[in-house]
Amino acid sequence: MPARCRAVASVVVVLALSAGGFAAEPLHARIDALIAAGHPNYAKEAAPVAGDAEFVRRIYLDLAGTIPSAAEARAFLDDTSPGKRATLIDALLAAPGYARRMAQVFDVVLMERRPDAKVPRAAWDDYLRTTFAKNTPYDVFVRELLSADGTDPKTRPAAKFFLDRNLEPNLVTRDLGRVFLGRNLTCAQCHDHPHVGDYKQADYYGLLAFVNRSFLFPNATAATAVIAEKADGDVTFVSVFDKTKAVGATGPRMPGAKPLDEPKFDKGKEYTTAPAKDVKPVPAYSRRARLAAAVTSPDNPAFARTAANRLWAQLLGRGLVNPVENDHPGNPPSHPELLDLLTKEFAASQYDVKWLVREIVLSRTYQRASEVPAALADVPADRYLVANLKPLSPEQFAYAAAEATGETGLARTALAAKATDAALDAKLAPVVAAFRGVFAGRPGEPEDGLTTTLDQTLFLKNGGVVRALTVAKAGNLADRLAKLPDDAAADALFLAVLTRPATADEKADVAAAVKGAATRPAAFGELVWALMASGEFRFNH
Amino acid sequence: MLPTIDPTAARVEREFKHASPLVGCRFDLHGRFLFASAQDNTIQRFDLLTGAKTALVGHNSWVRGLAFVGTPANGTGEAAAYAGRVTALHAAAGFAAVTLPGPKPQPFTLVSADYHGNLIWWQGDAADPKPLRTVKAHDGWVRAVAVSPDGRTVASCGNDRLVKLWAAADGKPVRTLEGHAAHVYNVAFHPAGGRLASADLKGVVKDWDVKTGACGRDLDAKVLTKYDPTFMADIGGARAMGFSGDGAKLACAGIVNVSNAFAGVGNPAVVLFDWAAGTSKVLKPKDAFQGTAWGVGFHPAGFVVAAGGGSGGRVWFWTGDDAASAHAVTVPANARDLTLHPDGTRLAVAGANGSALVYTLTPAAPAKK
Amino acid sequence: MPACSYACHSANHRASRRAFLGAAGAAAVLGPAGFASPAAARELAKTQKRVLVIFLAGGVSQLETWDPKPGTDTGGPFAAIPTAVPGTRIGELLPHTAKQMKRIALVRGLNSVSPDHGIGEKIMLTGRKPEAGVEYPHIGAVSAKLLGADGQAMPGHVHVFPAGAGGRSQDATFLGPKFASVPVVGGKPPADLFRPAGLTDEADRQRDDLRQKLSDKFAKSRRSAATEAYTESFAQAERVFRKADVFDISKEDPKTVARYGTHDFGRHLLLGRRLLESGVTYVKVSHSNYDTHHENFDFHIEQLGEFDRPFAALLDDLADRGMLDSTLVVVMSEMGRTPKINDRYGRDHWSAAWSVALAGCGIKGGAVVGKTNAGGTAVTDREVGSGHLFHTYLRALGLNPTKNFYPNERPIPIADPKADAITEILL
Repeated sequence: MPARCRAVASVVVVLALSAGGFAAEPLHARIDALIAAGHPNYAKEAAPVAGDAEFVRRIYLDLAGTIPSAAEARAFLDDTSPGKRATLIDALLAAPGYARRMAQVFDVVLMERRPDAKVPRAAWDDYLRTTFAKNTPYDVFVRELLSADGTDPKTRPAAKFFLDRNLEPNLVTRDLGRVFLGRNLTCAQCHDHPHVGDYKQADYYGLLAFVNRSFLFPNATAATAVIAEKADGDVTFVSVFDKTKAVGATGPRMPGAKPLDEPKFDKGKEYTTAPAKDVKPVPAYSRRARLAAAVTSPDNPAFARTAANRLWAQLLGRGLVNPVENDHPGNPPSHPELLDLLTKEFAASQYDVKWLVREIVLSRTYQRASEVPAALADVPADRYLVANLKPLSPEQFAYAAAEATGETGLARTALAAKATDAALDAKLAPVVAAFRGVFAGRPGEPEDGLTTTLDQTLFLKNGGVVRALTVAKAGNLADRLAKLPDDAAADALFLAVLTRPATADEKADVAAAVKGAATRPAAFGELVWALMASGEFRFNH
Repeated sequence: MLPTIDPTAARVEREFKHASPLVGCRFDLHGRFLFASAQDNTIQRFDLLTGAKTALVGHNSWVRGLAFVGTPANGTGEAAAYAGRVTALHAAAGFAAVTLPGPKPQPFTLVSADYHGNLIWWQGDAADPKPLRTVKAHDGWVRAVAVSPDGRTVASCGNDRLVKLWAAADGKPVRTLEGHAAHVYNVAFHPAGGRLASADLKGVVKDWDVKTGACGRDLDAKVLTKYDPTFMADIGGARAMGFSGDGAKLACAGIVNVSNAFAGVGNPAVVLFDWAAGTSKVLKPKDAFQGTAWGVGFHPAGFVVAAGGGSGGRVWFWTGDDAASAHAVTVPANARDLTLHPDGTRLAVAGANGSALVYTLTPAAPAKK
Repeated sequence: MPACSYACHSANHRASRRAFLGAAGAAAVLGPAGFASPAAARELAKTQKRVLVIFLAGGVSQLETWDPKPGTDTGGPFAAIPTAVPGTRIGELLPHTAKQMKRIALVRGLNSVSPDHGIGEKIMLTGRKPEAGVEYPHIGAVSAKLLGADGQAMPGHVHVFPAGAGGRSQDATFLGPKFASVPVVGGKPPADLFRPAGLTDEADRQRDDLRQKLSDKFAKSRRSAATEAYTESFAQAERVFRKADVFDISKEDPKTVARYGTHDFGRHLLLGRRLLESGVTYVKVSHSNYDTHHENFDFHIEQLGEFDRPFAALLDDLADRGMLDSTLVVVMSEMGRTPKINDRYGRDHWSAAWSVALAGCGIKGGAVVGKTNAGGTAVTDREVGSGHLFHTYLRALGLNPTKNFYPNERPIPIADPKADAITEILL
């Protein structure tokens, strides 16, 4: 069929689907249809769906935060059942690795590696993992984050978003906008955004008004501080660009929405517990208490839209609105109809994270190969013709390195019957901490994109932690490989580290490398390193 | 006869004010004057009898070292006689009457040392003293100066790590004592004559033979020094040093337990040496106090007295064998030096606020029945 | 910010692969150890420019250094000494520097607005007051970006500082991690620069060949700037490794080591010179510490005693190597110190009237601009801010500070548009 006809045919199919409201079509199929409709000749130009080897590595990294063990990879590659990908997806979503992976992702999204001053790391990790293991609806989760005040030990971890920002009002406002509304309002603190017409100073202060009356009690430095609130404090603002210095004022409101209706109180009745020395005041009306509902309200479309876009970006390597935190009419989504669809369906699913993740990873769009077809001269950044590369997060890198080199296997063996996930994590914690120390972003800074600083490269090249993983020692990968004949060793090496068989060329390279070597285990140790340090390992592809 | 003193009764007898913060202070060897050096490069001379203030101008930098050459006091009847004549005058002519000129002071020489490396000789009792002689003694600060018991030799020390001896009569150089490896903070002659002690930034105290210049031994006051690794600098030194009247003990005052040199977080302390044995113990204020001990002296009644400042000013008294102070007096500003009056009844401190305070130590008069 | 926005679609990125292949050739010019001999340094000097900032951390006292006021109630006990420039006096604690005065320009009318360590440091190194919404890059990252050559062997931005006196700094911001400072802690080579014990050169080369081969194959099939950046980082680490000798001070003539002194700052400044010679574009050497709230005078004797001789030695060395005309040297702090002496002989934080010294590339040696009043409590003539200094650095280096950077297609002026260069001290 000529390309043009095929394109027309797919458009017709799409029209038919949306016109007929044929809701039985699963979301992942509708995703694929809309992506295909977003580029002429999509079917011809796009890369094929990824092979099993690429798929199994990618899905483990995305849903379990680590690469599959060689055995798991082997099992998947050898499996001939037609629905094996969907089966694997479901298995991974049900496994504890999913909760751990999501907790790691959302820790960085919500807290940006800030120091753990008022909510200890363990309690926060626990809270996040439980949230994702239980598949708490996302809006419920966000309401927990924005309504906890830290007094109840059971819900205190959820208050970390405020507490470990010291409830600094401008910082909280900026991060509320960024994280939950897809708006980086930083510039709007001082004036309407000079380039983004949509980001107004009134929007910034409308958000600020939810939190400006709140403060940490008894003070900002106490590790056990809780959130308290006064009954007074109105928000006004002046634009630094405004020569007349006109003063604006606003009550609490979401960007683009009306200010909240607020009750009025007679003098003397503003508090249920009046402020006094060493006494935590409790206002009769709390602005902050209305934040959670306001953010997650169906009347605040930015919430569902940002959430859906964020999950999409996490899995596809690029948001439909890109960057995720710059959603405004001047930066439209690459596929507006798709984003609207995801938003609507996510909300309709009661913000079921696991469901949306599942639908996305079932799509052919997600499963596309990352290798650029030879015929494709130009790869546009936002058309999903080819899968995007995603640099491994510090945690993924650490866990993958431990798995690839056999360290995880050794830890499991050492723990034997006591090899719970928690015990295993504890054993691998030093490796994870070392990778975090070198690869994590600085506190308060966004962690996206690949960084390649000298200290990171030297850590990989010559550092003791990586060397201890790769060098042959009893029972690890290099040790086991050394005992195999060259051909089998090459295959086992590539399967363990790069989750694929070795090509003939690569087998030859391995044989040549070990041929002249003084000791086989040492040679294989360096080969393990070479694969682990290669670009193919560094990226989730 | 020694007067009885009661440190708990210490009270301000007189405040001498100056416009500039004070750096050092000394009563002259006759006890007529209180000399106080200041951050305006002057030395101010306060007449204890008349209250008159005279400026000694000649230095171009701060002075901390003050020492005297002369014969010690003979008789103290002067002061009482003078006080009697003042009372009579005021009774006759009222308090607004012109101050009676004081009796002519006994002659003495003042030798002062400054932070440009100079020693200046002055006629300390002159109506309006002018520099008699200026000697370029050291490269960098001269930190202290002392006069031998026989009045013949002046010792100086400074940032060039040297101790130098000079003829008191004409300022001619006698000898240079080398050996300290750091800034030398203080010098003191042993009362018996013949030996000189010097102390440096790193807590090394050297015991010199004055005649030969040989160093007999090193004593360890290293508790008074610290290299602060946060700020990468050394803090230390004996800010004040002195022998007891009988020569049995040597006291070195400074700061210990330094946890932040650039904020002065540490505690004042006096390292008290048994001079013969060379052993030492550390005297500390009984109550927590953050700062440096800047002055120290031995009172003939058996007290070790120190003064200092940091978060306010203090004078501390130690008795007998107790390493913790027996009594502390709060003074209004950081005390940057301490001097004990030859008659044993008073002490003075040099205040960072520009005031020199004279405290009387005699027991308070019993309340009239 | 989208990943890699600084590299994609930029000439920088397209040129990098060519530059990488060309680097081997460049290394040959520099001799077998990859290290510049004085003669080769002279050659380099003709084309390349570089920057050395000596950062006196904690806030050096301008009254004890560049703008003494002896005999005043704020002046303290030190004298002012004559220098090689008639009519210009500096503090007595800088006798060796005084002899170098013909090479040094003084800015005595600096008002940097904030007497706070963190904010002051940001103000002095970015040339701006902190703003909401933009993090500006430090002069180090700016210099590395604008003066650095593609594929140059050594990193463009290095910070040498004593152990315990600093950490990783977010100083390149939107210019990207390539221009962020590489920390050289305690004068030691970067951690893990050397091959681990048990790894021979041969084994390392072999394993690296395989890594490179795999990475190249992967990069070719994925065609992504990120994969190239990753591979390139190994090449750069190798280039730094081949120049690891630069960190070994003992390779210098012992007489030279003696001239700088064997104390930390002396060694670090000598290392700084070696780094500049080896091709690092910008080196900042920090000297710790000057925050003398207590006993300001004693501590300045000690710290300036450590600064004075090596600083003079450095200027002599740069001149001897023909590098002084192409190296901008700046001596700064995050702020100055109060004219008022507190009751513990200390001076406290002060930003309203203090000084910075400059020398080298584009700077008029011996010039003095700006005056303070008799007590040093206010600027009376030609008050400038950190923005003026920033413009001055760039002009001195032959760069145009009125241009923009374009992170994310958003124009951000390289220097504060409200300021301009202090022409009185420019050649």
